[in-house]
Amino acid sequence: MAQQKRSSLQITKDTVHALLMRELKTRFGSSKLGYFWAIAEPVAQASILAIIMTIIGKSSLAGVPVALFLISGVMPFKAFNKTVTQLSVGISSNTALFAYRQVSPIDPILTRLVIELATFFIVYMIILGVMAWLGLDVWPQDLLALISASLLLLLLGFGIALCMSSALLYWQDANKLLGMVMTPMFFISGIFFCATMVPAKYWYLFAWNPIFHAIELSRDAFFASYTTPVGSWGYLALTSLSFVTVGLMLYRVNRIRFATL
Amino acid sequence: MIQFENVSKYYPTKQGRRYVLKEVNITLPTDVSIAILGPNGVGKSTLVRMLGGADYPNKGDIVSDKKISWPLGLQGGLQGSMSGRENCRFVARIHGYKDTKEIEQKVYEFAEIGAYFDEPVKSYSSGMRSRVAFGLTMAFDFDFDVLLIDELGAVGDANFRKKSQTLLESKFETTKLIMVSHSMGELRKYCQAGIVIKNQNLEFFPNLEDAIQEYEDTYVTAK
Repeated sequence: MAQQKRSSLQITKDTVHALLMRELKTRFGSSKLGYFWAIAEPVAQASILAIIMTIIGKSSLAGVPVALFLISGVMPFKAFNKTVTQLSVGISSNTALFAYRQVSPIDPILTRLVIELATFFIVYMIILGVMAWLGLDVWPQDLLALISASLLLLLLGFGIALCMSSALLYWQDANKLLGMVMTPMFFISGIFFCATMVPAKYWYLFAWNPIFHAIELSRDAFFASYTTPVGSWGYLALTSLSFVTVGLMLYRVNRIRFATL
Repeated sequence: MIQFENVSKYYPTKQGRRYVLKEVNITLPTDVSIAILGPNGVGKSTLVRMLGGADYPNKGDIVSDKKISWPLGLQGGLQGSMSGRENCRFVARIHGYKDTKEIEQKVYEFAEIGAYFDEPVKSYSSGMRSRVAFGLTMAFDFDFDVLLIDELGAVGDANFRKKSQTLLESKFETTKLIMVSHSMGELRKYCQAGIVIKNQNLEFFPNLEDAIQEYEDTYVTAK
């Protein structure tokens, strides 16, 4: 079977498809519960927070049922966290495959981005579906804005992961540093609170954090009863694009190093 | 034809840059099979990897309009955590094949490793690895113009050698080899021309015997 010449884009597409098949197997297929955990993890996290909130006597936050409020924060944060950690080691877990000229180092990163995006949207829909079945009103007020905020957040994750990939070339422990940064991020990204619950004079403590903006904007889009006083599309988009730009530049500079790791 | 345009390749070491190739300009023919000669550590494998697109020159370009395989060798290409079959699927997919069944079957038959074909490659012996690696290029029938072989035969048993030899010979018309081996017998069997890596440069000899002579004069000091 003779093959006709493929364009570069076509080759990348084929490679990402091949990697996708392989990655899905290792990500979800390694244990039979793989798909289960993708849903159980954010649900468990939101549930624990919900239980705490219920214990301290809150049944709604900013006029939104606790469970829904928390899921709308936990889901994007989880997806962001996974995107950064999975994508930044995408290159190092696929080095043997760079022996094929078709596979360039950015391909596994793109592949993992596709996986994280798909997982995020599917899991989010399943969880909201179950909540709707339980009788909550889960239909987002502005679906397009919700999707945009989520996409920008994952784009930010992609950019940071690209930068991390390059950093890991020179300093293996960069991953530990990332872990140290990500843990406190959980508490300052507005997952179990929103800007209106914080006195305005303290907003500056959170306003630098693009994840906080993304979650604020998500909730603004999600709930008719909530209007964010802080979240800024411009700021979120700017940080995302900046990280992606810097990440791509670092990738370009280091592309030979990646391939010969 | 494979063209080297001002190709330099070095490895950074503690003592500074150690050049493997320095400003190499050469044109290699692709109508003959070529042996690559040189002692350990002179850059044979690096050269093969660069030809196969698995490594890149630090400066310059290697240009060719021919279809060149990936480097077939002991480490090259197979991912340890995937099974032989998954490796086949992967390679078929990156080459643009949508249906991979037929190729899997061909490799399975060529490799003759039975149920191991569905075990992770990291559990294979080196002989089994090379069976799969070799079967992969062959079974695909990619019609490569040039097949890159880096010490592949060294670990095969008699049966496998025989089999791969027959296969290679049946493809001689269309597929030429660029081959690294420390066995002169093997090189003489397959190759007509030779390259000696010398003084960070490539010297091409249209006649393999001249290349072997040059190699022995330059490098073989122990009599």
